[in-house]
Amino acid sequence: MDKYLTRPIKALITQFPEVGAILDEYEVGCVFCGVGSCLLKDIIEVHNLSEEEARVVMARISKVIYPDRDVEVPRIARKTGNRTEALKYSPPMKLLVDEHVLIKRFIALIPELLKIIDVESSEDRQLLLEGVDFIRSYADKFHHAKEEDILFKYFDETQQIIRAMLDDHDKGRAHAGSVVEAVEERDRDKVVEHLAAYGKLLSEHIKKEDEILYPWMDRDLTTTQVGDLFSRFAEADRAGGQEVTEKYGRFVAKVEEVMGNRKEKAR
Amino acid sequence: MSSFEGCPGSRMMDLRTTDTEDDAPATTVASQLRQWPIQMHLISPQAPYFQGADLLLAADCTAFALGGFHSDYLKGKSIAIACPKLDEGQDVYVEKLKALIDEAKINTLTVLIMQVPCCRGLVALAQEAIAGAARKVPVKSVVVGLQGDILSEEWL
Repeated sequence: MDKYLTRPIKALITQFPEVGAILDEYEVGCVFCGVGSCLLKDIIEVHNLSEEEARVVMARISKVIYPDRDVEVPRIARKTGNRTEALKYSPPMKLLVDEHVLIKRFIALIPELLKIIDVESSEDRQLLLEGVDFIRSYADKFHHAKEEDILFKYFDETQQIIRAMLDDHDKGRAHAGSVVEAVEERDRDKVVEHLAAYGKLLSEHIKKEDEILYPWMDRDLTTTQVGDLFSRFAEADRAGGQEVTEKYGRFVAKVEEVMGNRKEKAR
Repeated sequence: MSSFEGCPGSRMMDLRTTDTEDDAPATTVASQLRQWPIQMHLISPQAPYFQGADLLLAADCTAFALGGFHSDYLKGKSIAIACPKLDEGQDVYVEKLKALIDEAKINTLTVLIMQVPCCRGLVALAQEAIAGAARKVPVKSVVVGLQGDILSEEWL
């Protein structure tokens, strides 16, 4: 069984689809994860399952892998938490979750935006480029930089869960670059392909961070580290953080208004 | 067990039936206290051990109720103690906490209280200081049960 503990979850689910169904029952969303590189042992440790739930999940997975024989069910070291409680973040994690709110508001606009966007219109091309500026300046430079330059440094960055997050960031950057190219080429299909992919990617990414990564990190951080993180985030924000938040808050509100007006006209 | 049904904070309770650890270590448990004084009226926010510290603001009774007080909560922290029910001059406490946040630049504030309702006053006092301070610091509330169990521990 030990060799399966260190296998990436996507490969394991591909080989044993029932493993995905078991994890899904416990709201461990690996089946839908676009990366799937986390190892089985890390997944059990990272998700806030109770001691009993972790034991049952491992027993059921062992039975799927070895249906014809009894194997010793590995016990995964994990920090205990109470998953029945509503998520309550430490102040620095809460700050990151709050920053997600503006990104989610923008992502929510993407499907409608892609229905009406006209790449031959200079106004629409400008709107798309401003959208890319939001992605690059707010979602990436302002928000992801806090994770990459500060938060992740408190953890072993070679862990699959963190590597998966970094991989998402890189893919997001690539999609943003492709949208700019598509706008310059006035290629509507390419705009749709990459902006839609960005929206889907970030939507899943934020869900993973809010529900899995941050709670796991919170369980691992000491009180001193929480205070230290809070100070370092505040320091990072002092260099224009409020202006950035206000500027891009106004941008998202503008896109919401534009979308509302266009829908109204289309009626 | 109880013949007095008044204030929950001072209601008599006989806890002698509570199991205690028979196999407690025979050696002396090391104190994690690294400063003196500790009472809120006596401390000075300018003291060096408060600068950039993780501060534990503990209700007086918690140290007696919580078996692992030193190892689990005091270790690595500076401390101030108070009783939100009986102490007088608590406006001074608010000012001292503000000075600890703004001038001593404490890193975090952990408020350790008993489960009795009157102890909530210490959290309210900390929140008043936070609201009046120029700096913001993470504040954690930890509630201790009468038999030394941790009832809740959460960031505010």
